[in-house]
Amino acid sequence: MTHYLFVRLLRGAITVLVAVTATFFILRVMPGDPTTMMLDNRVPEEIRQQLLKDFGLDKDLFTQYLIFLKQLFLEFDLGTSFVQRVPVMDVIMSRLPWTLVLMTVSILITALIGIPLGVIAAYRRGSFLDQAINAVSILGIALFIPWLGIILLYCLGLKIPLFPIGGAVTAGLEGWDYIWDATHHLVLPVASLTIVHLASYVLYMRASTIDVLNEDYIRTARAKGLKERVVLWRHAVRNSLLPTVTMMGLQLGTLVGGAILTETVFAYPGLGRLIYEAVKEHDYPILQGTFLILAVTVVVVNILTDIVYSYLDPKITNH
Amino acid sequence: MEKTTLMKEKAHESLPFSVQQTKTSPLRDFIRHFRRNRLGVIGLCGILGMVLLAIAAPLICERPTGYGDVTNMLQPPSSQYWFGTDSVGLSIFDQVIWGTRVSLFVGLTSAAISVLIGVPIGLLSGYYGGRVSNICMAITDIFLTLPVLPLMIIMAAVLGTGISNIAMIIGLFSWPQIARVTRAETLSIREKQYIEAARAIGTKESKIIFRHVLLNAFPPILVNMTLIMGTAVLSEAGLSFLGLGDPMSWSWGTILQNAHSTGVIIHAWWLALFPSLAIVILVLSFNFLGIGINEALNPRLRKR
Repeated sequence: MTHYLFVRLLRGAITVLVAVTATFFILRVMPGDPTTMMLDNRVPEEIRQQLLKDFGLDKDLFTQYLIFLKQLFLEFDLGTSFVQRVPVMDVIMSRLPWTLVLMTVSILITALIGIPLGVIAAYRRGSFLDQAINAVSILGIALFIPWLGIILLYCLGLKIPLFPIGGAVTAGLEGWDYIWDATHHLVLPVASLTIVHLASYVLYMRASTIDVLNEDYIRTARAKGLKERVVLWRHAVRNSLLPTVTMMGLQLGTLVGGAILTETVFAYPGLGRLIYEAVKEHDYPILQGTFLILAVTVVVVNILTDIVYSYLDPKITNH
Repeated sequence: MEKTTLMKEKAHESLPFSVQQTKTSPLRDFIRHFRRNRLGVIGLCGILGMVLLAIAAPLICERPTGYGDVTNMLQPPSSQYWFGTDSVGLSIFDQVIWGTRVSLFVGLTSAAISVLIGVPIGLLSGYYGGRVSNICMAITDIFLTLPVLPLMIIMAAVLGTGISNIAMIIGLFSWPQIARVTRAETLSIREKQYIEAARAIGTKESKIIFRHVLLNAFPPILVNMTLIMGTAVLSEAGLSFLGLGDPMSWSWGTILQNAHSTGVIIHAWWLALFPSLAIVILVLSFNFLGIGINEALNPRLRKR
């Protein structure tokens, strides 16, 4: 178990390092240094040189890289926003909780709906119900998130105003009112993320349950006279969950992409919306920082999924 | 050398009569099964239709530029403007037709790039194995786990948003899936008897890899390519929606972005509906094609 965990942690650390290195070099090797993007070109040359020195941009690329790593890992410093002139870390930390809430809630709801649907579709393979579940899931993959978001906004925000049309919470609320209001704001963004990502859960769960239902031990369980409900939901599902858990980890990167688009449509103040704003303002430190934090989040959740996986499948840890 | 060719000819002659007569080449077999697959045929027709629209765009309508009919801004669909007009009076129909070109170009180019990178990596690491292969796969895994949309956004923001840049960026981040699939196939094909036979008669290693292994690993790669094309179309639309589209050409995501950033999208439903329908149709067509090819090639999935 410790060896398994160690390998996973090492791989996670390498992934983060690759992400850091990739963004660093993408942003530095490209034409023009940050000062030319930051400053008006009417600014005198001496001031530009001074700024280069202040930001450490007068040193060679490799030294800059080392300084960047040192600041990042020892001081958790992601630099300063070009536009707002405040530390990137502060901006990100004020936005991160919203994205985490949005993503956690959508993953939970997607799993709660998708896994049973997949199992039912597998159990009734070939029936009308199975085909309907399949068709709806495949249609979901092809939907363009912003469009789905706009439809939801139009129908349930504007025509029948059940839900607020944007933001994350109404200002000036406290206690339970605050939580209720935040949940209310969360419904539409979560709905659009869930609809699009439901398909992979359903299809994976269906495929692996079909495989498992053909196994010998299922026949044994039935022969023992166990109730069909117990055979399906306890004996079969426990094993067919394994590939789905792996897929949940791998899907996370895609889910982050979906969250960026969803937040943009719903003006939800998370990291996705921050990326959208940073793109418009050419705020590269913010872009870089946001990507790094998202990458770290994905890596951490992946390690957690691996731990859950090893708990579900004891074969892994015994190797 | 002469001897082996002679033997091959002999072997060919000695094939039983019936086998020589039946016309079941793998390709013919595939076409026969594919034609029976409803989803696959629908997908293929959808894609061919889109390709026709993209090629014929200049014949159907003029390329929309600048300001359109300013006396008819934000008009709902009518007999004059089938899909309505946007906030500068340009016809949405024209924009959607011209947008077909961008989406198809990005879908095809990025899939081609990802195949060019992913297939060699998958083939070589699957065939040779060993340490290099493990490192290749570790890199592939890293790219599979990282959230790619933000990375694409950064690259597009820095590199500039020309349509070929966008296609290149999407291709650069789509190859890991192809590499994985290719490697998995290579691993199982490597152990097959015909590979051993090819080795035994002294076939060159490069020929074994790029002829025998690649040809047999091709079907799943093809299926994966269609899925990547679908995802690439969605990624391109997403990047354009976030304002990273090519400002010089029309894209379905750009139409939505224009409507969203000017705030009229929620009142003018036609601005959102038509470009999005186009996206859904194209992506579904790619996915259906993938399902169709997969079912036609895989005997276990075939319907009788």
